[in-house]
Amino acid sequence: MPFTFLAPAFLAGLAALVVPVLIHLIQRERKEVVAFPSLMFLRRIPYQSVERRRIHNWLLLALRAAAITCLVAAFSRPFLKESVAAAAARSGAREVVILLDVSASMGYGDHWAHATDAAHKVVATLGAEDRCTLVLFSRNAEENVRATSDRGRLDAAIAAAKVGSDGTRFAPALRLAQSLLSRASLPRKEAVLISDFQKTGWERHEDIHLPEGATMTPVSVATDGLSDLSVSSVTFTRDTFSGEERVKVTAGLTNRGLTPYTNVAATLEVDGRRIDSRPITVAPNASESVTFLPFTVSETSMRGVVRAGTDALPSDNAYYFSLSPSRPLSVLIVQADGTDTASSVYLTTALGVGSAPPFKTDVVPVSRVTPSTIEHRTVVVLHDVTPLPSAADDLLKRFVEQGGGLLVALGDHTPWAGGQSPLLPGAIGPPVDRTSGVGGMLGFLDYSHHVLELFKDPRSGNFADAHFLRYRTLTPGPTDRVLARFDDGGVAMAERHVGSGRVIAWTSPLDDSWSVDFPKAKLFLPLVHEMVTYLAQYTEPTTSYTVGHLLDVSVPMAAIVREGTAGDTQSAAARKATGLVVSPSGQQTTIGEGGAPSVELAEQGFYTVRMQGTGGERPFVAAVNLDPAESDLAPLEPTSFVASVTGQAAVTAAGQSLEHPDLTLEDVERKQYVWWFLLVAGALALLGEAVLANRVSGRFGIGLMQVRRG
Amino acid sequence: MSTTPGARFIDPKVLGRIRNLELLAKTVVEGFINGLHRAPYFGASIDFAEHRGYVPGDDIRRVDWKVYARTDRYFVKQYEADTNANFAVLFDVSKSMAFASQGVSKLEYGSYVAACLAYLSHLQRDRVGITTFDEDVVAYVPSSAKHFHVLLHTLHQARAERPGRLSVPLGRMAEHFKRRSIVALISDLYEDPDDLIQALTPYRFMGHDVVVFHVLDPAEIDFPYRDASRFQDLESGEEIPVIADSFADEYRKLMRAHIEALTTKCAEVRIDYVLLNTAKPLDEALFLYLGNRERLMRVR
Repeated sequence: MPFTFLAPAFLAGLAALVVPVLIHLIQRERKEVVAFPSLMFLRRIPYQSVERRRIHNWLLLALRAAAITCLVAAFSRPFLKESVAAAAARSGAREVVILLDVSASMGYGDHWAHATDAAHKVVATLGAEDRCTLVLFSRNAEENVRATSDRGRLDAAIAAAKVGSDGTRFAPALRLAQSLLSRASLPRKEAVLISDFQKTGWERHEDIHLPEGATMTPVSVATDGLSDLSVSSVTFTRDTFSGEERVKVTAGLTNRGLTPYTNVAATLEVDGRRIDSRPITVAPNASESVTFLPFTVSETSMRGVVRAGTDALPSDNAYYFSLSPSRPLSVLIVQADGTDTASSVYLTTALGVGSAPPFKTDVVPVSRVTPSTIEHRTVVVLHDVTPLPSAADDLLKRFVEQGGGLLVALGDHTPWAGGQSPLLPGAIGPPVDRTSGVGGMLGFLDYSHHVLELFKDPRSGNFADAHFLRYRTLTPGPTDRVLARFDDGGVAMAERHVGSGRVIAWTSPLDDSWSVDFPKAKLFLPLVHEMVTYLAQYTEPTTSYTVGHLLDVSVPMAAIVREGTAGDTQSAAARKATGLVVSPSGQQTTIGEGGAPSVELAEQGFYTVRMQGTGGERPFVAAVNLDPAESDLAPLEPTSFVASVTGQAAVTAAGQSLEHPDLTLEDVERKQYVWWFLLVAGALALLGEAVLANRVSGRFGIGLMQVRRG
Repeated sequence: MSTTPGARFIDPKVLGRIRNLELLAKTVVEGFINGLHRAPYFGASIDFAEHRGYVPGDDIRRVDWKVYARTDRYFVKQYEADTNANFAVLFDVSKSMAFASQGVSKLEYGSYVAACLAYLSHLQRDRVGITTFDEDVVAYVPSSAKHFHVLLHTLHQARAERPGRLSVPLGRMAEHFKRRSIVALISDLYEDPDDLIQALTPYRFMGHDVVVFHVLDPAEIDFPYRDASRFQDLESGEEIPVIADSFADEYRKLMRAHIEALTTKCAEVRIDYVLLNTAKPLDEALFLYLGNRERLMRVR
C-alpha cells in the first residue's frame, strides 16, 4: 500500500540531516585541552586540516541521521493510502449523487476537463450494487441521469454534458441531493460536489441539511492565479443629429485577475459591422470604461456586441445588446362631433409634456375615424364620444384584441343606459349628480394596480382635491376589475382585457365639464400618463437580458405596440399573439397562443422572436448575456463550504472522514499508526546515539585525566 | 592482571595505597625474592671467580698462599664482585613524570621502582644514594650504607614541577660518582637517544654499571585518543592542534622507533635498558629486569 503524508510540510525538516553530517565533517576541537607529557613526537606529525573534514564515526552519524529521519517522518504523519474502490468494497452498497457544475465559469481553461475527469473517477469507484445519480447544476439543478448502476450510461451522460451559460447556485443542487439521498434506500449515502466553488454561488443563509449519515465530498477544480477580463456592462447615450437618432455606447470592462491587461482591443460591432475599436488597459482587480464612436439607430432590434480581450474564459469577453429607435407613443383622441377641440385640451396638454416615453397625440371627431387613422396607433382615447360607426367599431375591436390600448372617458355624449360594448368593462348606466355639497370624491383606489401604484406612497398625490359633480354609472362584469370608486360606491375607473389589449373606462370626462378641479389637480397629469402607458403596454425597452430570464409573448408584443404596428391593417387580420423563438444555437420554440407560455433564455447571444403576422418586418431580438457574477471566479474553500453546508466540520457527525468517506475515525486513526512506530524508532536511535556518543567521549576522557602530583 | 609463572605480582594501584615506601619496597622485594628459584645476590657475592698474577700494589692479603705453595708464584684471588657496592639512583622529576592516565603517575611508579631497588641493595648491605633532577639537580644524596631512609625520604619529597633536561644534570652528576657504582636512571626519556647515550657514556667510561628504566604511561605507548583537541606539553605549556584519530598510528610508530633506538643504542654501549609500563605490576618489572641481569652475568 503506498504512503502519503497528512502534513507533508514537515518533510522540510529532513534538511536537518545536513547538521549531523556537518558536525561529523567539521570535527570541532574539544574545548578541553589535553595535557600530554611531551609533544616531542606529535610535533613531528604534519597537521593536515583536510583530516578534519573526514567522517570518523559512521555508525554515530548513521544513528543521528536515522533519529532525525524517523522524527521528521513521524511528524509528517505518514498515511496508508487505500484506494477508494478497495475501501468501498469493505462495506455496504452506496447511493451516490454526483453534483456536476455546468455553469459558465466552468468554461475557464481546463476546469471542465478536470471536472469531467473527477466525475468519471467517481463513477469508476461504483460497485455492482452501488447506484449513482448525475445532477447537472448551474443556477438550477437538473437530474440528468436517475439513480442507476449502469456505469456506461453515467459515463456517456458525463461525456455529453456541456458547460452552459448560466450562473452558479449551489443551493438548488444541494437541495436536490438532499431530496435524492433522503429517499435512497441503500445504507451508505454520499454526495460528491464537483465545482469551481465560486463564492458568488453560495449564500450562507441557505438552509440545507443532508440526511443523517450522508457525507459530502467536495472536489474543487479551481486553480490559483486566475486571470479574467470581462465586459461587465454597456450603457447608451441617445442623441438626435440631423433628424436621426445616434447612440453612443460606453462599455465597462473588469479585470478580476492579478495580471494587468495592457492595450487590449475593445471592439463594437452592430449588425455584424464593426463600428469602432479602441485599445484599453485594465489594471489587476480594477475596472475601466471605454466609449465608442456613435452610430445611427435606423432599424428596430439592431444587434450589437462589445468584445474585449481573449483569456481562459472567453464567454465573458463579449457583451450582447439590441437597440431600437426610441419612438413616441402614438395616441389618437376621438371626441364627439361638433364639440369644441378645447374639450380635449387638458388631455392633449398632459400628454404633450411626456418625454419618457414621449407621446404623439392626434384629435379627431368620431365621424372622421377611418382605418387609416387607427393604423400605427398605440392607444386610442374615446373622449366622451357617441357610438362609432360599425366599421370603425370593428376596427377598434380588432385593434384592442391585438394589443392596442383603449381609454374610454364617459360623458354626456356617451350613449345612455343600456349602452353596452364588448370592449367596455361593464354596462354604462345613467349619470349620477353629486351637485349637493362639494360633490363626489374618490373614495377607493386599488393601489395594487399598475396605474395607481405610483400614488400608493404618502404624499404621492392627493385624490381628495378632485371633486366630481357628475359621473356615469358603470356596472362592471365579472371579469372586469374596478380600479377606483367614488365615495358613494360608484365605479370611477374599471379595466377589461380584450385579447392582447387593454381597456380602461373612466366614468367622467377628462375635462372640466363634470369636474372643475380634476383636470387641474396635480395628479391629473401623472394619472393620464400612467393610464396611457399602461394601455400601451409600454415598458422601458430592454437592451439585454441575463441568462435565465423568462421571456413571454408580452415582451415582443409590447415592442410591436411600441413600434406602432399593432393597428397595421395589412397584417392585423392574420396576427395572433404567437411568436416563434429561435435561440442562438438554432433551437426553435413557440410561445404565446398554442405554444409555451414563456421560454427561458438559457444561452448567451441573440434570441429572435418572430411574431405571427409580422410578415417581413424585422423580428424582435433579445440579447442575452452571462450573469456578471460568473466572471467573479474567487473560490470558496471547499472544506469550509462543506462545513457551512452540513453545519459540521471536516468530519461528519457519523464519524466519517470527508476525504475518505468510507472510513470511520477509528479506521482513519488506524491508517496513521505508522507515525507511532517512527516515533519509537526515532527515540531508540537517539538512545543508541547517546550510548555510542558517551562511549566515544569516554575514550576522550583518557586525555582529560588530571595531572597528578607525585 | 597478567601473570608470570613462579611469581605473584601486585597491581601498582594497590601499591599506591601503601604510603610508606619502605613497607612498599619490602612487600614487593620479599615477595619477589620468595618467588625466585635462586637468589641472585647482586654485588654481594663471595664466590671465587679466577686468579691473576700479583702486581705491585695489590693487597698482599689477597694473595692465595696455597697456590704460592704449589707453584711458587704469587697469585691474587678474584671474586664475582666487590662486596658493599654503591647503588645510585638517578631519578627524573621533571614535570612530564607527573602524567598519569590511570591511577599511578610515572613519578609514583618510578619512586616505587627506586625504593624497591634500594631496598634490595640495602638488604645486600650495599651503599645506596639518590639524585633527583629535572633541568638541573634537585636533590643529591651520596651513596652510603646509612642513607637508605634518606633515600626514601627524598623519594617521598620528590615533586614533578619543572621542565626537565637529561643531558645537563647527567653530565654534571657523572663527576660525583668516584667509586664504581650501579647507576639506575629512572626517567621517561623524552630526549634524543643519541643525546641520552652521549650523556650516559661517561658513566660507562668510569666503570659504572648503568641501568636505564624507561617509565612510560600506557597512554604514551598506545595513544588512545580519538577526538580532535589541543594537546598541551606538560613541561613547556605549548599547545598544538591534534587530530588524534589520524595522528594515532603515526605517533605509535614514532614511539616504537624511539624505544627501539634506545634499546639498540643502549645495547651498543652495554647499558641495560628496561621499559616499564605504569599499568604493569611493579614486581613483574623487577623480575624481568633481574632475570635478564642474571642471564647477562652468566654470559659474562
